Amino acid sequence: MRWPASLQARLGLFLGILLTVLWIAAASVTALILRGEMDEVFDSALQETAQRLLPLAVVDIVGREEDGLTQRLGVIREHDELFTYIVRDAEGRILLQSHTADMAVFPAYDGPGFRLTATHRLYNEDALQGTIRITVAEPLEHRGSVAREIRMGLGLPLLIVVPLALLSIVFAVKASLAPLRRFGERLDARNARDLSPVPGGDIPSEIAPVAATLNRLLDRLKAAFDAERSFAANAAHELRTPLAGAIAQAQRLQSETGDMAARARAAEIEATLKRLTRLSERLMQLARAEGGQLRLDRCSDLRIVARLVVEDVARTGSPGRILLTLPEAPVMSDLDPDAFGILCRNLVENALRHGSDAAPVDVTLTRDGQLIVANDGPVLRPETLDRLTARFERAGASGDGSGLGLAIVAAIADRIESPLVLRSPRPGAASGFEASVKLPIDDSIASSRSGLSKH
Amino acid sequence: MRILLIEDDTVLGAAVRDQIAGDGQSVDWVTRLDAAGDAMAGAAYDLVLLDLMLPDGRGIGFLKTLRARGDVTPVIILTALDQVSDRIDGLNAGADDYLVKPFDLSELSARIGSVARRYTGNPNPIISHGALEIDLAARSIHRDGKPVALTAREWALFEALLSRPGQLLSKAQLEEKLYAFDSEVESNTIEVHVSRLRKKLGPRFIETERGMGYRLGKP
Repeated sequence: MRWPASLQARLGLFLGILLTVLWIAAASVTALILRGEMDEVFDSALQETAQRLLPLAVVDIVGREEDGLTQRLGVIREHDELFTYIVRDAEGRILLQSHTADMAVFPAYDGPGFRLTATHRLYNEDALQGTIRITVAEPLEHRGSVAREIRMGLGLPLLIVVPLALLSIVFAVKASLAPLRRFGERLDARNARDLSPVPGGDIPSEIAPVAATLNRLLDRLKAAFDAERSFAANAAHELRTPLAGAIAQAQRLQSETGDMAARARAAEIEATLKRLTRLSERLMQLARAEGGQLRLDRCSDLRIVARLVVEDVARTGSPGRILLTLPEAPVMSDLDPDAFGILCRNLVENALRHGSDAAPVDVTLTRDGQLIVANDGPVLRPETLDRLTARFERAGASGDGSGLGLAIVAAIADRIESPLVLRSPRPGAASGFEASVKLPIDDSIASSRSGLSKH
Repeated sequence: MRILLIEDDTVLGAAVRDQIAGDGQSVDWVTRLDAAGDAMAGAAYDLVLLDLMLPDGRGIGFLKTLRARGDVTPVIILTALDQVSDRIDGLNAGADDYLVKPFDLSELSARIGSVARRYTGNPNPIISHGALEIDLAARSIHRDGKPVALTAREWALFEALLSRPGQLLSKAQLEEKLYAFDSEVESNTIEVHVSRLRKKLGPRFIETERGMGYRLGKP
C-alpha cells in the first residue's frame, strides 16, 4: 500500500488504524476477562441455587408417603425461569422438577459438580449417600446474551470514538502544520528577485531546521547575486576613468595633429571608446535596475530629477529638441531618484535616437506620477513593439545605441510592479511612438493643486 | 585664468591639462587632496577642477571644507559617479558644475568658460567693448566687424583684463594667470603680449600704469 503524500492524511490514516486495532484488542481482552469473571459469578449462583434447593427437596421427599412419585411444582406467578432443576433418586426416577424443566436438557446423573452440554450449564449435587440428586440447569443462551451485551457495551464507543479521534487528529495536525503552510505561502508570494529571509514565525521545531536551511540558502543566493551585481556596477564604474582618459587623449590627438589621416583615426578611436562607454554605462544601469533597493524609506520630488536629466541630455547634443512638461506641485515618490533618473534618461535618449529630428521629444510627468515620453516618427509594427524591451534589441538597422535602454526601463518598471506601456502610433496622432510608466507616488504629499506648467 | 586640476588618473589628467593649456589658461595639476590644499594656500586660483575619488580622500569633503572656510573659488566636479543623487550631492556641497566622465574636452572648455563668466557677473558670452565685439564662448573677437585672430596666450591675457574691468592688474598677477608653477616665465613676456594685443585690438585697449600694472582701457 502506498502512503498518501499529505502528512495530514498519513497521520490520520496511521493513527486511525492504530487506534482502532488497539481499541479492538483492549475491548476483546476486557470482554474475555469479563466473560471468565461472569462465568464464575453465574456458576457460583448455580451452585448456590442447587445447594439451597437440595435440603428443601430432601425434607419434602423424605416426608412423602409414596416413593418414586414425580412432583412438578406449580407456578406461583407467571415468570421466565432461567434456572430449571430436577431432583432424581439413585434409579434415575424424577422426584421433583421445576415447572418449565425440560427433561431433554438433563443428561444422566454422573456425580456432583459442574457439567456443560451444548445448550446448558449444569450443576449436580446429591444428598443422603447419593440417593437424592439435584441437577440445576441454566441455559447458555442467557450467558451468551449477557456476554453479547458486554461486548456491545465495549464495542459501541469504537464507532463514535474512533471517527472522533480521527477528526481531532486531522484538526490537530492541520493546526500544527498551519505555520508551515503560512511559511510556504510567504515563500510562494515573493517574486524572483526577493531573496530576503522568510520569517519562520511559530514554525514547529521539527521543521524549523528546514526553514533555517532554506533561509541560509536564500542568504547565500542573495550574497552571490549581490556580488554579481556589484561586480557589474563596479566594473562599469571603474571603466569610466580610464575610458575618459583614452577619449580625452584621442580628442587631444585630433586637435594637435595636422595629419588628416591620423586625425580621422583618432576620431574612429574616440567613437569606438564612446560606444564602449555607453555600453558599460547601460550594463551598470541594468545591474542597478535589477539589484538593490528601488524604493526608499524617504520621498523626493521627481520633478527635480526629471529637470536635471532633461537638461543634461539636452546639453550634450540635443539642445531645443526636448519639451519638458511638469506639474506645478511636487511629485513626491519613494522611488530611488537614481532609478528614476536612469529610467527617464533611457526613455529620453531612446526617443531622441529613434524619433524624427523634425519634431521635439515630449517628456511629461503628470501629477499622479505618470511619466510619458513621446516622439514623432514612423509607426512601429506591433511585433516590433513587443520585441523592443528584449536585451540588445534595436528598432531599425541603426547600429547606434546599446540596445539595452528599453530593457533597463522595463526592468525598473517590472520591479516597481508597473508595466512599461509602449504605443505606436502615439495616442491622438497618426505616427510616432510613446512610452509611459506609472511611478509610485506618495498621495499624502501630492498637493491638491492641479494643472500643468510648461518649462 | 589660473586653474587648479585635481585628478589622480595620469592619462586623463594629462589630456585635460593639455586642453586647458591649449585654451591659453595656466594649469596646476595635482593628484592628491593634500597637494591641492597646499596649492590653494600658495596661489589664487580662478577655478578648480575636482575629481571626487582621490587616493587620499573624497573630493566632496574637500569641497565642503573649502566652502566652510568661505572660499568662493568656482569648482567644477569631474567624476565617474554618474547617479543623479551624486550630482545633487555635489551641487549641494557647493560645486558650480558637474561633469561626468567620460566627457568631451570641448565641453569641459565650454563649461569652464561658462562658470568663469558667471563668476564675473556677466553670464552673457557676447561682450561689446568699443569697436570690439567679443564672443567669450566662441573665443572670437571682431574689430569693426572684422575677425581678429589671437594666440592662446594673448587670449588668456585679454580675458584676464576683460574679467576685471577698470581694475589694475600687476605684472605678477598677469604672469600668474598665464603660467603654471612649473612653467618658465621670461622677464618681458607680459610686455611682449601687451604690445601685440595693442597692435591687434587698438592702442587704447590696454592702459599702462607705470610701475603698477595694466588695466582695461575705457571703450
